[in-house]
Amino acid sequence: MQQYFRWAGNALTGDLGVSFRSGETVTSQIAERLPATLTLAVAALVVALVIALPLGMLSALHPRSFVDRIATVVSQIGISVPDFWLSIMLILLFAGTLGWLPSGGYVPLTEDPLAWLQRLVLPAVATGVVSGSVITRFVRSSMLEALGSDHVRTAQAKGLPTRQVLGWHVLRNALLPLVTVTGVQLAYLLSGVVVVEIVFSWPGLGQLALQAVRDRDFPVLQGAVLLFALVFLVINLLVDLLYSRIDPRISRR
Amino acid sequence: MSAPVLEVEDLRVRLRTPRGTAHVVNGLDYTVGPGETVAVVGESGSGKSVSVLALMGLLPSGSATVTGRALLQGEDLLAMSPDRLRRVRGPGMGMVFQDPMTSLNPVLTVGRQLVEGIRAHQRVSKQAARARAVELLAEVGLPDPARAVDRYPHELSGGMRQRVMIAIALSNSPALLVADEATTALDVTVQAQIIDLVERLQSEHGTGVIWITHDLGVVAGIADRVLVMYGGRCVEDGTVDDVLDRPRHPYTRGLLGALPDLAEPLADGSRRDLATIPGVPPPPTDLPPGCVFWPRCPVRGDARCETEQPPLTVVGSGSAALPHRAATWCGEDSR
Repeated sequence: MQQYFRWAGNALTGDLGVSFRSGETVTSQIAERLPATLTLAVAALVVALVIALPLGMLSALHPRSFVDRIATVVSQIGISVPDFWLSIMLILLFAGTLGWLPSGGYVPLTEDPLAWLQRLVLPAVATGVVSGSVITRFVRSSMLEALGSDHVRTAQAKGLPTRQVLGWHVLRNALLPLVTVTGVQLAYLLSGVVVVEIVFSWPGLGQLALQAVRDRDFPVLQGAVLLFALVFLVINLLVDLLYSRIDPRISRR
Repeated sequence: MSAPVLEVEDLRVRLRTPRGTAHVVNGLDYTVGPGETVAVVGESGSGKSVSVLALMGLLPSGSATVTGRALLQGEDLLAMSPDRLRRVRGPGMGMVFQDPMTSLNPVLTVGRQLVEGIRAHQRVSKQAARARAVELLAEVGLPDPARAVDRYPHELSGGMRQRVMIAIALSNSPALLVADEATTALDVTVQAQIIDLVERLQSEHGTGVIWITHDLGVVAGIADRVLVMYGGRCVEDGTVDDVLDRPRHPYTRGLLGALPDLAEPLADGSRRDLATIPGVPPPPTDLPPGCVFWPRCPVRGDARCETEQPPLTVVGSGSAALPHRAATWCGEDSR
């Protein structure tokens, strides 16, 4: 008990203790790993949005069409497939059979941008596909809801050009719930890339945490868990703040 | 009489539904003259709203089939290209919808929603459109219009929002204004204000108005002519006096009989029970072969009622320009 309060007190000042194994401070170890994980999570989110936005919008604009059915099947597969399996398949295909990309590792952007990108693509796709599938579903349903709303009919009755109706009236309103989902997905990506990091030997926080478990290096593990929790809180806070910027019903009291 | 603003001929709307084809509107004919108000009445599901949404081209294109002719100032709305139709929405016809709480975009200011409507049809600068928006808001009686333009819909009351909707509908001075249950969601005093407003604007601009409602009190107050719809057909039309005072169709009589009579309590102080029309309207997927009202009709005075569809024919008084017509086999005296 006393030990916990001492740790918590120190944590508030940024001192998370010292690793049993390496003797380095936990803070410095985490700080060293954080950029890699951030890079991967953001890249995965970009992949997810690049997949989800066009696919979700197309499905919503042509419900029950061929595109919509394909999108539904693909996103269902995307949600169901475990990311480690997808990672292995991607490695087998692109690193093994085709030999286009390296199978793993990490090179800082500052050293060699091309090598950095080459090593980023596969893990980003592997993690992004799952999130992308989830977000596709949300884009589709919130677009459909916005398309059917009364104020969109008003916009059409005003004789606005279709592009303006879709951009300002459908998309703008469909984006509101999407911000929440994307925030949750980013938090999930930041803390949930553990498995993919290991498959691609990506030196991020997930790997650090797993290593700490193996070594019974609990100060490091504790630090990593604390950070994941913090990430969730911060992102949720950001989402709420963003909401008050984009939805006038919330900001003005 | 000058050239009509709108001439509808044999308008039919079919909708594909999971339960089969729904014949929602089955052959409507009517005209709206400049400065004239035509009320379309009928209960829910009688095809009132669908018939005007069809004119505006606002029905889902995938599942709706619209046939017939609808000449707006001589030009057929139903034969227009989508782009031409878009240009007509606004300057040709404006529409006010039933629910002012959901018909405005919640995340855009009132001013923006007016300005984009103006600028979609008129080549004016943003500043000029904004100035026009303030004028319009003043015209529809919004207090402090200069500040109201920067408000969001949720900051306004229902009546105020409906005024904004009217301002939007009128922003391009349409020849025809369609009010689809525009006062149904409002309380009675606000309803009266909105009706006054529309009547005033109408007399100033000479706009033709289609007023869709199920409130016969509103009809008596606002309309020049009435069109009673049932089962997607016009069962009776004519001037307000003809239809409301000398109804000929059993359905119209039923509707009028169902009005609550607040003035006269019975001798013992109690009030008589509200008269109703028993039963429900026929499903548009399965309309009766004869008179659409036959299954609920208390009269059924003719052998043809069940099997043969009565045509809309001139009955009783009414001038040649403003005939009183009813689609019924019932004779003059069959009450």
